[in-house]
Amino acid sequence: MDDSFELEYADELDALGIVNDEELVPPPYSPPKSKRSLQFSTPKVGKNKNTELVDDGCGIESSDQDLSLLSSPEVEQENVQNRKRLQSSPAMEEDEVDGFIISNTDSRKRAKFSDEATLLKEDTLSSTDAAVQFVRQSRSQKGLPSSSSISQPVVKDDLERPKVFKRIPRGDFISTLGYEGQRVYMQLWDEDVLESEFSSFEKDSRPLSLLPIPVCIMREQIEAKHTRKVMEEANEVHDSLRRQFESMEEEDMTIGMEESSKSKDNTTRDEVDILSEEMKSLWVEKYAPRRYTELLSEESINRSLLHWLKLWDYVVFGKDVPKPMKKAANNFKKDKEKETNFKNKKFFSEVAEQLDKHHRPEQKIALLCGPPGLGKTTLAHIVAKHAGYNVVEMNASDDRSVDVFRNKLESATQMKAVIGADPRPNCLVIDEIDGAPAPAINVLLNLIKRTDMDASTDKKKKKKEGDLLLRPIICVCNDQYVPALRQLRQLALILNFPQTESSKLASRLHEVVKIERLKADLNALLALCERTDNDIRSCLNTLQFVRQSNKELTLRDVQTMSVGQKDSQKSLFSLWHDVFTMPRPKKNRFLSIQDLAEGKQDTLQTNNISPSARFQHILYMCQATGETDRVMQGIHENYLEAKAKDPHLIGLNIANDWLCFADCLNQYIARNQDYSVLKFSSFLPVVFHFLYAAYNPARVQFPHGQFEAKQKHQKTTNLLTSLLSDMTPMTQKFTNSTNLTLDLLSPMLDILQPTLRPVNTQLYSTKEKEELANVVKIMIAYNMTYHQEKSPDGQYVYALDPNVEEVIKFPGLKQRKQLTYGAKQMIAREISLEKMRRAEAVRNKSSNPSVPQATNAAPAKKKSGPAVPNHLQKLEAKNIAPPKAAVNFFGNLVRTKREKTQSKDAAEEEIKQDKDKKELLDTDIWFHFKEGFSNAVRRTVKVEDLL
Amino acid sequence: MSLWVDKYRPTTLGKLDYHKDQAAHLRKLVEGGDFPHLLVYGPSGAGKKTRIMCTLRELYGPGVEKLRIEQSQFTTPSNKKLDISTISSNYHIEVNPSDVGHNDRVVIQELIKNVAQVNQLDTSTQKNFKVVVLTEVDRLSKEAQHALRRTMEKYMATCRLILCCNSTSKVIPAIRSRCLGLRVAAPSVDEICQILTSVCKKEGLTLPREMAEKVAEKSGRNLRRALLMCEACRVQQYPFNPEREVSEPDWEVYLRETATMIAQQQSPKRLLEVRGRLYELLTHCIPPDVIMKGLLRELVQVCDGQMKPEVVQNAAYYEHRLQQGQKAIYHLEAFVAKFMAIYKRFLEEGIADIF
Repeated sequence: MDDSFELEYADELDALGIVNDEELVPPPYSPPKSKRSLQFSTPKVGKNKNTELVDDGCGIESSDQDLSLLSSPEVEQENVQNRKRLQSSPAMEEDEVDGFIISNTDSRKRAKFSDEATLLKEDTLSSTDAAVQFVRQSRSQKGLPSSSSISQPVVKDDLERPKVFKRIPRGDFISTLGYEGQRVYMQLWDEDVLESEFSSFEKDSRPLSLLPIPVCIMREQIEAKHTRKVMEEANEVHDSLRRQFESMEEEDMTIGMEESSKSKDNTTRDEVDILSEEMKSLWVEKYAPRRYTELLSEESINRSLLHWLKLWDYVVFGKDVPKPMKKAANNFKKDKEKETNFKNKKFFSEVAEQLDKHHRPEQKIALLCGPPGLGKTTLAHIVAKHAGYNVVEMNASDDRSVDVFRNKLESATQMKAVIGADPRPNCLVIDEIDGAPAPAINVLLNLIKRTDMDASTDKKKKKKEGDLLLRPIICVCNDQYVPALRQLRQLALILNFPQTESSKLASRLHEVVKIERLKADLNALLALCERTDNDIRSCLNTLQFVRQSNKELTLRDVQTMSVGQKDSQKSLFSLWHDVFTMPRPKKNRFLSIQDLAEGKQDTLQTNNISPSARFQHILYMCQATGETDRVMQGIHENYLEAKAKDPHLIGLNIANDWLCFADCLNQYIARNQDYSVLKFSSFLPVVFHFLYAAYNPARVQFPHGQFEAKQKHQKTTNLLTSLLSDMTPMTQKFTNSTNLTLDLLSPMLDILQPTLRPVNTQLYSTKEKEELANVVKIMIAYNMTYHQEKSPDGQYVYALDPNVEEVIKFPGLKQRKQLTYGAKQMIAREISLEKMRRAEAVRNKSSNPSVPQATNAAPAKKKSGPAVPNHLQKLEAKNIAPPKAAVNFFGNLVRTKREKTQSKDAAEEEIKQDKDKKELLDTDIWFHFKEGFSNAVRRTVKVEDLL
Repeated sequence: MSLWVDKYRPTTLGKLDYHKDQAAHLRKLVEGGDFPHLLVYGPSGAGKKTRIMCTLRELYGPGVEKLRIEQSQFTTPSNKKLDISTISSNYHIEVNPSDVGHNDRVVIQELIKNVAQVNQLDTSTQKNFKVVVLTEVDRLSKEAQHALRRTMEKYMATCRLILCCNSTSKVIPAIRSRCLGLRVAAPSVDEICQILTSVCKKEGLTLPREMAEKVAEKSGRNLRRALLMCEACRVQQYPFNPEREVSEPDWEVYLRETATMIAQQQSPKRLLEVRGRLYELLTHCIPPDVIMKGLLRELVQVCDGQMKPEVVQNAAYYEHRLQQGQKAIYHLEAFVAKFMAIYKRFLEEGIADIF
């Protein structure tokens, strides 16, 4: 175990060593050879920590660097203190610049020394516990309370060792340059003295002088304890199950006895024994990783998750009793390791280092995503446990309605188990979050976001709401692109699981197989991995299944076996890509020899470029995808760009016929709800594959043509409906949307654009006036008007409203001539005037009590109602004595004279009727907002008033 | 003054310009008092609705021209609200049930029941039935049509139906047999010319004979379009110049250009460009069957005689599929691809013959 660990981490440790070296060793002193020996030599470290010496510049630097990652304030403070002291005593520093020993021993000895140091170092780092001890030690020596305070006489000795002198020391010395360029002298020690000192170290029963008990012993103890515990538990379970099975066995045996001869009795009993043992638990459970180092998932992911979890340490453990504090320090140690090792890895960049003002990580949750069977849940559990949390899991089996979800969420993040030997903080693992309903996820989102907002508001409120999210949450999902997770994704640290390496998985399977006494060679296991797409769970289940019946797993079994496969859903893009791509012949290394021997029975497996294999592959993929409509759209939009030789366009016809067929099929299914024929639509991609597959296909584009077309069509339809709905009944009766587009609109727009001179209407000839009036009438009848708009380049233009021009205009055709701005403005004005006039006329008629007129008026009223623009409607509403207002307002119009007298009469009648009430209302003052027009406030002034 | 189409629309059976004997039949029907359900069919722009309106006027007098628009609301069994606008007078109600899509059955059932269950108030002076005019019956779903057949018989006493459609092929036989079919054929070119001339005369304009013929030809025997085109010409230029081109709707020009593109080159790449143009046409609410027809008309012109039957046959085949299918684009494209293949083969054979 340790060996493998060291092997695994060898390069990382090396890297760590180098980085440390660079930072630890001050350049002027260090002869490169002595790097290693100096770095971790016990005396040096011991001396530094023990005496709290500030004269050791590099020592402090190293501790500085060590501690900087740990965000514990106390340590920070200490650092600062150290630094201050350092600054305040430059003299001291000058005097004794460093505690380095330059020995004049030959390189052989130095090598020996360095070997020892390396050993020590590796010991120190190789196990967590050792690291814990290491840090605990250092803390205790810094004066912090510690459970075990140890003093080391050997280390104390070290103090007496001479340092760097400013003056020439006694004995042998070498001279060198100090920090500030001044000359300093270092004493050369006699080889023998050092030798004896080192030998004393070697003789010492405790090679790691920092620890009271050597690491290896501690580890052994822990392991022994652990195994004892596990063994006890196992025995217990075993016994209880044994008892159960034995009772069951009795029954089985009575049946078995009848069938089998007595001679076989013993063997059957044995087999049943073994089987019963095996049936106790699923292998998936039995061989699930228990420790961080056993994880099969990619190391970088494990680490970034762990690192992220460590970022919570300050919030979760920071203000706790010293015991967890020590843990934090321990964590920091690991963080440091990781940081140094991971500087260049891509996953690391995802973890946002900085903490927010509550000292929580920027990313409040972690989202693990990937296909099933890669160990996402296992990773979450183990990492959380590893970091010292109590794992609380929520998964799809729990009720996830909003209330329940909120309750659970809050209890998990805010409460803590009080009873129990080891009250640890909770870490919430939400499994299968992609299946949770959107409202429940919103609750989670709120929890994350709300706390952010609260931070800015005053404290009282925060107290009331009471919940800063102070515990890490790890979410696990298969599909991170579920719509409900969209917002969550932006806030989360997303860790995408790649496939487990086949070799890694196979070797683990091999171990399992060995333990379970199942014969299986590595090749078979590799084949199994491949077949299950490296799904750990599926592999183990398959193996267990095989184990039940026989004791050997051969390559042949794996190939012919129908278990261990699952319906895996590929993305649409991969399907489209596969449709248009000719598969490359895949070398199947596990099969070739056996296959030849067996006469190529299994062509499907061996030859993935044979037509039938391609056929099956595409068909299977399509069936697995399910979204036939989307698949079809994608194919439709991409097939014309495929590179295929088709000089007679025969393939094109076949393809199109298939598209038509599929479309008719869809219609049939939709109309008759007959889904039994849905299976046929899976064959469409197969056809396209055989027609258009190429080795270097063009990039598949996502289909949006149909969607865009649909939207545009919708827009046009809406325009037409709005045009139709407000037409006069007589015109509406004789038109429909088809007529409008096909026959009517195009010529009508021509008709609506007579040549109008850009002069005042009063200067028009009668014929021109007629033309204008005609245009106005038509536009009113068809519910059109001109509407002022601001074009993107800031100019004002009059556009038709509703803008039917869009309906009939096609790209690439010549533009029809447009009326001038002035003409349009004039027409728009005339339209509104005419509408008002009509509305007036209706009102006048309605005051007459004749019935047929009333019925006549009704439609006109109806028509004018919604068609009048907003500002004019306001006008009408206020016009309780309307005719006068209107008449005076538009008094300069030619044709209003008759109306004027008529309306005045009517108005006067009304005024007589309720003169008392409407004294106020008669003085019509209204606001009329016109852009760039100043006389916004108007008042009615009668001609009589002026006379 | 409004559009000539609206302005000079005949309002009584007597004033109709063509199919006069049919008008006479209609008058006899009304006078006979035994007015049946009517199924009026014929191409667009032939004057179906004008004729229906004239008949109604003959039935009830000028009161039917007092129209109003009403919004009715219906609730489907699945509690979905449907809004539909109806045009009605005191005597009749006109509705286009296909506006609400596949829920048209509900509209048919509810609306006709509502109308039919109320008797005409004053039966002494008026006919004792109301009329329900259903337009675009050929777009009704089968369910709605089946819902209609029983209703038609049940409420015969209080209400008559006038169904209006372009083609009877999509009306189920059960309904066809319950109605008196009335085919309103498109006016001939001569008739259109006459009408155009008379309209211009009323407007005080002189329309040259050649001009009238040209417009009539361009309109494809669609009277509405002919009148509108004529008026558009008049607005653009008066006095009429027979040399001048009559402007066509943009979509026709666009469709013709598309057909030219197809004839120019036959390749998947070109098909892709054509697809874009087809989408453009479809999004401008041009019905797919019109597109298919227009394409065929243009494409047949470039075809050699022996190819024509094959092309037309294929067009018919794909139009049939189009009606059965969901998304028009597939079928239009399939037709274009088919034509490309046929045309290309023909060209290659031609080249082979030369050498």
